[in-house]
Amino acid sequence: MIPKYPHLQKIQNFYQHYRRMPSYREIMELVGWKSKNAVFKLVNKLVDQRLIKKDSHGRLLPSSLFHQVPLLGTVEAGFPSPAEEETSDTMSLDEYLITNKEATYLLKVQGDSMIEAGIMPGDLVLVERGTEPQDNAIVVAEIDGQWTLKYLRKRGKTFFLEAANKKYRPIFPKEGLNVAAVVKAVVRKY
Amino acid sequence: MSNNTPLTISTFPHAIIHIDGDAFFASCEQARDPALRGKPVITGKERGIAASLSYEAKACGVQRGMRLSDIRKICPQVIMLPSDYETYSLLSQRFFSIVRRYTPDVEEYGIDECFADITGLQRPLNASYPKIASQIQADLARELGCTFSIGLAPNKVIAKVASKWKKPAGLTIIPGRDIHRYLNQLLVEKIWGIGHQTRSMLNKYNIYNALEFARQNEDWVKAHFYKPHYEIWQELNGRYVLELNTSEKQSYQSIQKVRTFTPPSSNRDFVYSQLAKNIENACIKARRYCLAAKRIVIFLRTQDFHDRGLEIKFSRPTAFPNEIIKVIFQAFNELFDPTKLYRTTGAFLQQLEEFQNKQLDLFGQSLKIEKLTRLWGAVDKIKKKYGKHTVYLGASFYANQFAQHQGARGALPTRKSNLFKGESSRRRLAIPMLAPPS
Repeated sequence: MIPKYPHLQKIQNFYQHYRRMPSYREIMELVGWKSKNAVFKLVNKLVDQRLIKKDSHGRLLPSSLFHQVPLLGTVEAGFPSPAEEETSDTMSLDEYLITNKEATYLLKVQGDSMIEAGIMPGDLVLVERGTEPQDNAIVVAEIDGQWTLKYLRKRGKTFFLEAANKKYRPIFPKEGLNVAAVVKAVVRKY
Repeated sequence: MSNNTPLTISTFPHAIIHIDGDAFFASCEQARDPALRGKPVITGKERGIAASLSYEAKACGVQRGMRLSDIRKICPQVIMLPSDYETYSLLSQRFFSIVRRYTPDVEEYGIDECFADITGLQRPLNASYPKIASQIQADLARELGCTFSIGLAPNKVIAKVASKWKKPAGLTIIPGRDIHRYLNQLLVEKIWGIGHQTRSMLNKYNIYNALEFARQNEDWVKAHFYKPHYEIWQELNGRYVLELNTSEKQSYQSIQKVRTFTPPSSNRDFVYSQLAKNIENACIKARRYCLAAKRIVIFLRTQDFHDRGLEIKFSRPTAFPNEIIKVIFQAFNELFDPTKLYRTTGAFLQQLEEFQNKQLDLFGQSLKIEKLTRLWGAVDKIKKKYGKHTVYLGASFYANQFAQHQGARGALPTRKSNLFKGESSRRRLAIPMLAPPS
């Protein structure tokens, strides 16, 4: 059983919202204290409980236990609503499929060049713009003023595009390869 | 005073950035489809005029508002596209979200521009003001695929000067002590908020460039101008006066719905139903914001761009089109001339106030309003579920029977004709779509 720290929840909320741990000063403001020394003591207590960690510079990091503390809202008496507790660790299909909302675009597949990768004509593909592609990722590249959906392959130092269909030959672009987006998910609705 | 004397000695007592999309609509199209890159592209085909033009189209001499037939003469290779407001709006929302990653103080000033206050954020973001501005610019270009110009300055007026200074993809930094160098090269009417009236007045006092205006004595400015221009004068001098309005748009001063249709028509019923549809749309928007109008202005535009309009006052505020239709019918008949061809109709709801049905009266009006509120509440619910104009007034029957534009100009934006299974012409996924791959 993990003891409940009301201040920890504020730090968790901060983390959920900003995707980073707060600084000492920010914790001071979060809990409404006037001294950083008090924050220091709280942090040490939480570190002792292994709820948070410090890095080599003394900055805070979430530990593996940090997220497991149940977020039960502000119910003071009685049992928390079980549904709320059980569903707080779930995500929507949107969240599951989309990491960076602002950079995600749709693409409607045409043709059969990626058929062996399970990407069929008419499929909905979610792509992320401006991300660094990893080797062998499926990417959207620009070839002759058109988007094309292919595997990004590397041979030695040259990158080239490869279809997932034996009918098509690999494409070695003459002047640099412009990869616009990386495929993140394929959705097919029946 | 010498032209080289700074107006202020500070650099960034406040750090305000203005971000402005470069030919935003045309850039959205070019970001979507690489085939359009480096080519003269214009949007607004369905309206018959250029609404937005790519830099390549500008280089050909095309200007905003030009008619398509004229554009084709000076730039035969131009690519004309119907406006895809849905995609532009989605990208606009993303634009604001990306800026909000850096600061919560963002004023959405238009679909493609915003102000952001980054004062004091160097430490938390671990970057200097110019660095923050360039990071925002890089994020926007990388994730949206189109470029923005940014101005960094101690206040909004100078930030506007800065963002316009270098376009496209410019990043102009004007610290307080350098303001005079920029204003010296700028005509006074180029300053945000100074229109041709003010310019004419300033010219009479022999003030032509912005620096001359900024160098005027404060008492003289106060004596000769009202508050807005005095505020501009203060900002030109590097002070921070105009605060950012970061609240979301909650209310409207007026609601306008103007639609053009092709081919032009001299059919009374058809033109009337176009107007009725505009009134319905305006009412839908008013009801969404819980507003009711006390006045309406309707206007008709002929094929040769002559406008005629009339204003009608209501006995009480309303947002119910069936009530409005009844009172405007006569006005429409006065405006309509069957010998002319019409291309556009428009309706402006004005003097908006919060809708409430509290006032009791002797003549059973409130009972009637109660009924209408329930009726239109139901219509709005149906609309939410099945799409706009599932239920519409008999008066707008003809307008709802056909597409807004017949013939070439009726071409739909690609997004509307390229649907996924499960999407309909009314409802689509709220994610912008790239052009189909090869």
